[in-house]
Amino acid sequence: MSFFDTHLLNLVVYLPLLFAALVWMLPGAERGQIRTVTFIGMLVDLVFGVWAYLRFEPGGPEFQLEYRTRWLEQLGVSYHIGADGLAISLLLLTVFLGPLVVMASQTYITERVKEFHLSLLVLQTVMLGALVSLDVLLFYIFWEAMLIPMYLLVGVWGAEDRQMAAVKFFLYTLAGSLLMLVAIVALYFISSTPGNRSFDYATIYNSLVAANSQISTCMGTGDCERLTGMAGILYRWGPWLFAAFALAFAIKVPMWPVHTWLPDAHVQAPVAGSMILAGVMLKMGTFGFWRYAIPFFPSATHQLRPFLATLAVIGIVYGALMCLAQRDIKKLIAYSSVSHLGYCMLGILALTAEGATGSAYQMLNHGVSTGALFLLFGFLYERRHTRLMSDYGGIAKVVPVYTASFLIITFSSVAVPGTNGFVGEFLVLLGTFKSSLGLAFGVLATLGVILGAAYMLWMVQKVFFGPLTHRENQGLSDLSLREFATVLPFLILVLVMGLMPQPFLDRINPSTERFVTRANLGAPGSRVQASDVRISVMGLPPAGLAAVPHSPTTGPLADRR
Amino acid sequence: MEALKQVLLQLRLDPAALWLIIALPLVGAFICGVFGRMLGRANVYLIACATVAGSFLLSVSAFLAVSPLESSQAVSMENAFSTSAIRYAFGYDYGTWFSTGTFRVNFGLLVDHLSGTLLLVITGVGFLIHLYSTSYMSHDEGYWRYFAYLNLFVAAMLSLVLADNLVLLFVGWEGVGMASYLLIGFWYSDTAKAWAGRKAFVTNRIGDFAFLIATFLIVLLVSAFNSQSNTANFTLVGGNPETAQVRYREGLQMKGPVAFQGLEVFANGMHGTAEKAQGGVSLETPIAEGPLKDRTFGGVLTVALLLFLLGAAGKSAQFPLYVWLPDAMAGPTPVSALIHAATMVTAGVYLFSRMSYLLVLSPTAMVTVAIIGTITSLLAALIAFAQDDIKKVLAYSTVSQLGIMFMGVGMGIFWAAVLHLVTHAFFKACLFLGAGSVMHGNADETDIKKLGGVRHEMKQTWFTFMVATLAITGIVPLSGFFSKDAIFHGIHHNHLHGYEWASGAIYYMGLLIAACTAFYMSRVYLLTFEGKRSPEAKIPHAHESDWRMTAPLWVLATLSVVALFYALPLMPGRGGVMQPVMENFLGPVFSSAERIASRGGQVALDHSIPSLFDYLKAWVVALTGGAAAAFMYLKFFPARAGQPAPAFARSVRRFTQNKFYVDEAYEFLVIRPVKNVSAILYKLVDTLLIDTVAVRGTAWVTTRVGSALRYVQTGDAQAYAAVMALALLGGAVYALIQVLK
Repeated sequence: MSFFDTHLLNLVVYLPLLFAALVWMLPGAERGQIRTVTFIGMLVDLVFGVWAYLRFEPGGPEFQLEYRTRWLEQLGVSYHIGADGLAISLLLLTVFLGPLVVMASQTYITERVKEFHLSLLVLQTVMLGALVSLDVLLFYIFWEAMLIPMYLLVGVWGAEDRQMAAVKFFLYTLAGSLLMLVAIVALYFISSTPGNRSFDYATIYNSLVAANSQISTCMGTGDCERLTGMAGILYRWGPWLFAAFALAFAIKVPMWPVHTWLPDAHVQAPVAGSMILAGVMLKMGTFGFWRYAIPFFPSATHQLRPFLATLAVIGIVYGALMCLAQRDIKKLIAYSSVSHLGYCMLGILALTAEGATGSAYQMLNHGVSTGALFLLFGFLYERRHTRLMSDYGGIAKVVPVYTASFLIITFSSVAVPGTNGFVGEFLVLLGTFKSSLGLAFGVLATLGVILGAAYMLWMVQKVFFGPLTHRENQGLSDLSLREFATVLPFLILVLVMGLMPQPFLDRINPSTERFVTRANLGAPGSRVQASDVRISVMGLPPAGLAAVPHSPTTGPLADRR
Repeated sequence: MEALKQVLLQLRLDPAALWLIIALPLVGAFICGVFGRMLGRANVYLIACATVAGSFLLSVSAFLAVSPLESSQAVSMENAFSTSAIRYAFGYDYGTWFSTGTFRVNFGLLVDHLSGTLLLVITGVGFLIHLYSTSYMSHDEGYWRYFAYLNLFVAAMLSLVLADNLVLLFVGWEGVGMASYLLIGFWYSDTAKAWAGRKAFVTNRIGDFAFLIATFLIVLLVSAFNSQSNTANFTLVGGNPETAQVRYREGLQMKGPVAFQGLEVFANGMHGTAEKAQGGVSLETPIAEGPLKDRTFGGVLTVALLLFLLGAAGKSAQFPLYVWLPDAMAGPTPVSALIHAATMVTAGVYLFSRMSYLLVLSPTAMVTVAIIGTITSLLAALIAFAQDDIKKVLAYSTVSQLGIMFMGVGMGIFWAAVLHLVTHAFFKACLFLGAGSVMHGNADETDIKKLGGVRHEMKQTWFTFMVATLAITGIVPLSGFFSKDAIFHGIHHNHLHGYEWASGAIYYMGLLIAACTAFYMSRVYLLTFEGKRSPEAKIPHAHESDWRMTAPLWVLATLSVVALFYALPLMPGRGGVMQPVMENFLGPVFSSAERIASRGGQVALDHSIPSLFDYLKAWVVALTGGAAAAFMYLKFFPARAGQPAPAFARSVRRFTQNKFYVDEAYEFLVIRPVKNVSAILYKLVDTLLIDTVAVRGTAWVTTRVGSALRYVQTGDAQAYAAVMALALLGGAVYALIQVLK
C-alpha cells in the first residue's frame, strides 16, 4: 500500500488549501506571483484529480479511494471520505474548472488579488470535500463552508449591486441548510440507539434500510398505521425529514420556485464566481438529492415524486420562458441554468437507469457549457462593461474567433447532437418517457428543446448578428491568446464528451444502478431486498492505530467506548 | 469498355472504411474553418472541392460494392437481429456511442441501394455545387467560412443517410439543420437574413421535438414487443421461430432498440389483426405494462409515425412547418440549390422510405402523410403563382415538389418517391444554379419582372434552365415526366384499407398540382428569358458566367434528361410484367414493406405499368398549364399593359403574394403569445410574486418584527423585573388552577 492508495483523495481535496497557505504567505502586492502560485496549485490539483478519476474502477466497489480515520468519536463522527461514480465525475469537473477559473480572472480582478485567490483555493477545497465526504456531519460542514468563500466572491468582487445579491444568496441557501441540519440531527437520533449512534453515511443508511423496506411493504397493502419502532417513526416523520433535505437541496439546484437567488447572484458575481456557481455549486443540490435525500427516504420520495417532478418540469419550461423575457445576457444564461437543472432533477426523479445516468451526465455538461458561456461573456463584459443585449449587435464582424467559440458553446447548450449536451438531454428525456411518471412529463420537458433553441439563438442573434449598431463596439479586440487558451479546453470537451461519452458513462452507470435500486426500495410493495442495497464501506481503523501509537491509557482517563 | 468494367469491379470499398466518406468533408470543414484565412482563397477552394470529390469517389466505390456490375459479386451482410442476411447491403459497426440501462446506440453505418443512391446524389451534386460556388463566391470576403459550412453540411447529410439507427440519423438530421442555419444567415450583417436563419432552426426544432418523442415511443414499443412477443410472431420473420426470437434479443443487446435492422424485424413480426396472431402480438394487442399500458401497439405506432411526420414536416418544409423554406432563400444561391432543394429538404422522404416497413403497418399514418403532402403541394403551388422573386418561386416550387414526394410516400409508392427525389435533385439544382447564374450576370437582380430577354445574352444558362424547366413541368421525354407520373400512377392504383377514397381524390389533386407546376414554371421561364429586356433592369446587358458556373449547369441538365432511364420498364419483374429500373433496383430496400403489404392487412400495393393513355393524360395536363402561362404572359398581359387590373384580381393577387398570411397567423397565434406570456410571467410571477412578495416579504416581516420587539428591550432593570414578577405570578396562578382541578 503506497501513500497514494490511501491518501489520493485527501491530496486532491487539500492541495488547494496547501497552496492557499502558500499564497497567504506571499505579500499582497505580488499579484503575478499570487496568480501563478494559485494557477500552479489548481493545475497540480487537476493532475491528481485526473489520476483519481482514472484510478476509479467502474466495476469496482461502490466507494473507492476511501480513507477513514477517527475523529470526534464521542459524537459518532469519523473522518471518512471516498468517491462513487457520481462523486468522482463531479470531482473531475471541479478540478477541471479550477485552473480555468484562475486564468479567466487574470485581468478581471484587479483589487484585493490575494484575498480573491485565497477564496478561490479555499472554495475549491470545500467543494471537493463536500463531494467526497462519507460522513453526514462532515458533509454538512463542507456544505456550509462553501457559502463563505462564495459569499465573498460575489460580495467583494461583484458588480454594482453585489451586496444585495451576496446577502440574498447567503440567507436563501442558509435557510434551507439549517432545516437540513435539524433533519440530520433528527436522523442521527432516529437511526440508532444510544451508544451506537453514528453520523457515518453508510451506518445511517444501513440502519434505515430495514425500516424503509417495512414501510414500502405496508404501503403496498395499505395499512401503515400499526408500524412500530423505527419504521413507525420513519413513516410518521420521514416525509418531513425528506422535505427538509429536499428544501435545502432544491434551493441549491435551484428548483422552481426557490430559484430567485440565482439570477441575482449570477448577474452580480465576477466571472470566476459565475463559473464556479454554475459549474459546480448548483450540482451540489442534485448531488444531495442523489446521495442523501432520496436513498435515506425512498418511501417519502415516492410520495412526493409527482410533486417534485412537476416542479422540475415547470423549471424547464418556466426557466426557458424567463430567458425570452430578459434583456440582460447574464440573467438569460442564469435562467437557462434553471431550465437545464430542471432536466437534471427530472432525470433523477424518473428513477430509471437512463434518466439518472442522463441526469448525471447533464450535470457535467451543464458545468462545461454554462461555465463556458459565463466565461465567454465575462471576456466581453471586461471589454464593454455592459450586460444588456441592446448594447451589442453585429459584433461578429469585429470578433470572429470569439463569435465562433460562442456559437459552438451555444450549440452545446441547445443540445445539438454531436455535442455533449445532446447525450445528457436525450438520456434524461428517454428516462422520463420510460419512467412511471407518465408521458405528459416527458412531452412537456421535451418542449424545452424548442424553447432552448429559441432563446439561445435569439440572444446570439441580438449580440452577434445584424449590422454593427454601436460605435463603441467597433474597436473591440478579439480573444487574446490567454483567453483563447482558456476557452479551448471547453471547446475540446464539448466535442469529446459529445462523441465519446461512454468512458464517462461507464463510471456513472454502476452508481446509477445502485441509486435506482435504492430509490425503488421505497416503491409501494417493492420487492427490492434489503441485502441488495446495503452499503459496505471501510470500517473504522482500530483505536490507537491512527492517532495514538502507544498503549491505551488506564484509570479514569481510559478509553470507555 | 471491358477494361473499364474490370477496373470498376475492383473498386469496392471495404466496409470498415465507410467512415471516411463522412470524415473527409468534416476534415475539410475543420481546415477551411480554422485555417481558411491563412491558407488563402485558392487553397480553400481546392480543399473544399477535393474533400467532396474524394467523398464522391468513395461513394462510387461503396455504391459499386452494393450494386456490382456482375450479379455474382452481390454483397450481403449479416443481420444482427435475424438469421437471414441482408442482401445488397453492407455496413460496419464502430462500437458503442452511448449505452446505459437497456438502451444503447452504436456508431453503425449502413449502405444499401437506398442510401447508396442518395450518397451519389449528395456527393455528386454537392461537388458540382462546390465547383459552382468557387466562382459564385469569388467576390466574397467570407469564402473560408462559406466553404467550411458547406463541407460541414455535406458531412452531416452523409451521416444522415449512412446512419443505421434512428439516433445517429438524428445527428445528421440536426447537423444539417445547424449547417443550414449557418448558411442561411451567412450574410449575417443583414438582420433579416440572420433572422431567417434563426427562423429555420427554430421551426426545424419544432419538428425535432416531435422526432425525439417519436423515437422515445419507438423505444417503448420495441421493449414492449420484446417482452410480449412469442414465437407466433417470429414465424413471420423467417427461419426457425425460436432461433429468430433469440437472435432478435441478442440484436437488441448488441445494437440497441433504435437500429433500423431491428425495427425491420419488429415490423415483420407484427401481426395485423388479433385473429391472425395465434397468441402472438398484433397491432390490436394492448401493451401490458409500462407508461403505455393498455394502449394498442397499432395505436402507439400510428402516433409515433404521425410525430415522425411532424418531424419530417419541419425538415422537408411541409405544412404546417414549411414557412421557413421561402425565407431560407436569404442564403447564397448555391446553398439554396444544395440544401434547400437537392438534399436536406428531402430528408423527410428518406426517413419514411427508410422506415417504409413501419409505415405500411398504419394506413392512418400513411393517409395523413399523403394528405399533408397534397395540402402542402397545392398551397405552395398557388403561392408560387404570384411571387416575383425568382428564388422565391423556385423555393415554393421545391415545397410543392416535396409535397408530391410525400404524396407518393404516403400512398406507398416508395420507389417512385425516391426516384422523384433524385430527378428533382438534378433539375431543381439546375434551376437554382441557373437562377444564381442569372443573378450573377444581372447585378444580383432577383425580380423576374425586372429581367426578361436574358436568353440572348446568357445562352448556356438559358438552354440549361429551359431543359430543367421542361423536366419539372413534366414534358416527354424528360425525367421529371416519368418520375412524377410514376408517383401519380401509384397513388391512383395503391389502396389503403379504410381510406379507399384517398386514391382517387389525391390522384386528381395531383393532376391539378401538375398543371399548376407547369403554369408557374413557364411563367418564371418566360418572364426571365423570353421577351424583351425590362427597362427596369439594373444593368443594360447581362453577361454569361464563367465555366465553373456553367459546367455544373450542363452536367445537371444532362442528368435531368438521362435520369429518365430509371423510370423505364426494362427489368423483368414479378409475374412476367416488366418493372421500372428504379423499382427493381430499390426492390431489396422495400422488400419488407412489400411482404407486410402482401399479407393484405393494411395496404394493397400495385405494380402495374402506366398505359399510354395515362402518359397522354399527364402530358396534356402539363401542356395545358404551360400553354395557359404562355398565353397569359406572352399575349394577355402584354396586350393589356397600362390598364389597371380589376379589383378582385388585385385582392386575390395580394392575398397570394402575401403567402395567404400564414406567417402573420403564426406570429399572431404562437410567437406573440409565447413572448407575452414570458414577459408577464417574468414580471408577475418571478419578480413580483416570488421575489418581492415571498422572498423580500420574508425579510420585511423579519425586520418589522425585529423593530417592533425592539421597543421591549428598554434596558430598564425595573421594567424587566416587573415583567418577570408578572410572569412568575401568572405561572403560579396557572399551577394553582391545575392543581385545584
